[in-house]
Amino acid sequence: MSEARAEIAERRRISIIWLVPLVALVLGIGMVLYTFVSQGPLITIVFADAEGIEAGNTKIKVLNVEVGLVESAKLGDDLSKVVVKARIDKAAAPLLREGTQFWVVRPRIGTQGVSGLGTLLSGGYIQLAPGTGEPGVRSFEGLEEPPITPAGTPGLQLSLLSERAGSVSSGDPILYKGFRIGRVESAELDLESQGIRYSAFITAPYDALVTSNTRFWNASGISVSASADGVAVDTAALETLLIGGVAMGLPEGIEPGTPVAPGESFELYASFASVNERPYKRSLQYVVRFPQSVRGLRPGAPVEYRGVRLGRVERLLLREQALEGLTGQGMPIPVLIRVEPGRLELPDTKKGMEELAQAVEIGVGHGLRATLATGSLITGSLYVSLDFYPDERPAEMGSFAGHATIPSITTGLAGMEQKVSLLLDRLNALPLDATLDRAGQALASLNRVLDAPDTRALPASLEATLGELRETLDSVSAESALQTRLLQTIDELDRTLASLRGLLGTLEQQPNALFFNREAVEDPQPPAGSP
Amino acid sequence: MSAFPAGTAAAAGLACCHICRKLAPQALRRCPRCGGSLHLRKPESLQRTLALVLTAALLYLPANLWPIMTTSQLGHSTENTIVGGIVLLMHHGSYPIAAVIFVASVLVPISKLFALSWLCWSILRHHPASHRERTQLYRATELVGKWSMTDVFVVAILVALIQLGGLLRVTAGAAAVAFGGVVIVTMLAAESFDPRLIWDQLETVDE
Repeated sequence: MSEARAEIAERRRISIIWLVPLVALVLGIGMVLYTFVSQGPLITIVFADAEGIEAGNTKIKVLNVEVGLVESAKLGDDLSKVVVKARIDKAAAPLLREGTQFWVVRPRIGTQGVSGLGTLLSGGYIQLAPGTGEPGVRSFEGLEEPPITPAGTPGLQLSLLSERAGSVSSGDPILYKGFRIGRVESAELDLESQGIRYSAFITAPYDALVTSNTRFWNASGISVSASADGVAVDTAALETLLIGGVAMGLPEGIEPGTPVAPGESFELYASFASVNERPYKRSLQYVVRFPQSVRGLRPGAPVEYRGVRLGRVERLLLREQALEGLTGQGMPIPVLIRVEPGRLELPDTKKGMEELAQAVEIGVGHGLRATLATGSLITGSLYVSLDFYPDERPAEMGSFAGHATIPSITTGLAGMEQKVSLLLDRLNALPLDATLDRAGQALASLNRVLDAPDTRALPASLEATLGELRETLDSVSAESALQTRLLQTIDELDRTLASLRGLLGTLEQQPNALFFNREAVEDPQPPAGSP
Repeated sequence: MSAFPAGTAAAAGLACCHICRKLAPQALRRCPRCGGSLHLRKPESLQRTLALVLTAALLYLPANLWPIMTTSQLGHSTENTIVGGIVLLMHHGSYPIAAVIFVASVLVPISKLFALSWLCWSILRHHPASHRERTQLYRATELVGKWSMTDVFVVAILVALIQLGGLLRVTAGAAAVAFGGVVIVTMLAAESFDPRLIWDQLETVDE
């Protein structure tokens, strides 16, 4: 009986040992729940290449701190990209924002030094650079190259446009007075404008240096140029000489202007010289049609007004001339010139342009003309000179290929040449032959006159006449009778005049002397009592 | 009818002391020689065994899912689970070591858990399986149980040996603790299992 009771008790009693698996289960479920709850987001990064990425092994790091792990790396749906799925720690989830960048860190050797050497042995990892946009983004495009400037760096992003790629490439420094203030981030060919578009980043606090009038130019290499101004050699810092770079600054005498917004576009000039050639943004374009040789006139040649630089020659408009039709009557050469209001200390604005345009229009009415002048006798280079020629007939501005034209005249060497040839033409036109003929006839008739007998007798009668003339002259000489008599007559006349003077004196003192006798006048006496 | 086969000590009401092995009447409750408590069979043997087997099974999950070993190589760390380590060893061509680890870390614990579960289940359900087979199974369980700590030893030795600073370093992972737990709990489960229960269902003491 006791056994039976014991058996029932054993069956009914639930041992305390069941707490052990219960605790294990609760702990296990708790851990699973905790893991699930604390699990960070799963993100998708699309890479062009999976080099160095290993599912379950490649880390995602920020500032060399691990914040995630790649869970899978598979080909995308179109089999042309690698889709990497990675689990990011919950604590690092706020880093996933609009503009967050990912790239694979691999060993790299470039002009900026060697980087990522640690990954040679440890294998690559994915670097995360947090963006600044809206949080909550879960899908990203991976970068092929590490960004020159990590996202979120304070500074200013700019676009530089250049006609040619030149020696500037991504990673090159941007220098201000030779000091590095930023970097060229990327370069791409802009299909629309057929130019190179560089993305540049100026790091804070130097971004304040960039203003609306700032100019950027290619500072790499050595530039040697010969122009109407002579020969110029330009070099930059040695570093930029070796690896290239972009310099930044203000052209001489230009105000800094206003601060610029991020993403602003600037022109990248080919050299510092070209910055100074075109330091102004606003310009007017005119066409001058020269009826003479433009040999030596190159694009870029100066346009001057009485020696003051106004602008530059852009190009010859031969194509436009061809479109207008070749007349076959000695067409003038149309030259496009650019005139900048800023050079005349006018504001570099629309208003300045209008002012200058008005001045030119009035000036043309008062004899403003364009001429080709010789800049250098050695190189033979020409420039366009504007000046007033008040003697010119008044003219009006015309229009050619959409540009206003400034009338031209020819002066200088070319003008002289023209005048000399005009003079020669006139000389040529004189009736020299006829004149000579007539002169010959005149000489012949003169000959005849001289040969006549009367003419021959002329010297003899001339001699007789001269003899008589001598005799006459002899008769009036000092010893002749005529002379003696003449002297006597003159003496008498003298005496007569002396007595007449006495009479005149008497008359003056006593006008009535003509009618009364002279009165005796007493001698004057000195008054008595005087000391 | 007695719960115990006729002709056994239990049927006669005699129990064996757990400590000094003296055979004494169970009615005494205390061993007359050493004072230890007397039981005919280990108390709650099946419940304890089953509970511990369940605990071991639960612990076996993290032991396999978590990394058992972390290898840091030049700042780049690799985590390996038990199965992952075996696969890695096979990739490297170390088949014998892979086999040893597989047997010690996967085969032995699992077979032990299954064996104990099946023994308990067959006793509870009065399964008509041959008691001889069950006895052999129990012996095999006892035999392999001695080797189940191999994997923990491997990790412990590697962690102790491979410490080259930043160059190469091996650290034990969370799974090592869980796996140690599995081994200990299965040992306790095997300990709390009373093999005499296998034979209690025999009608008579034959042979």
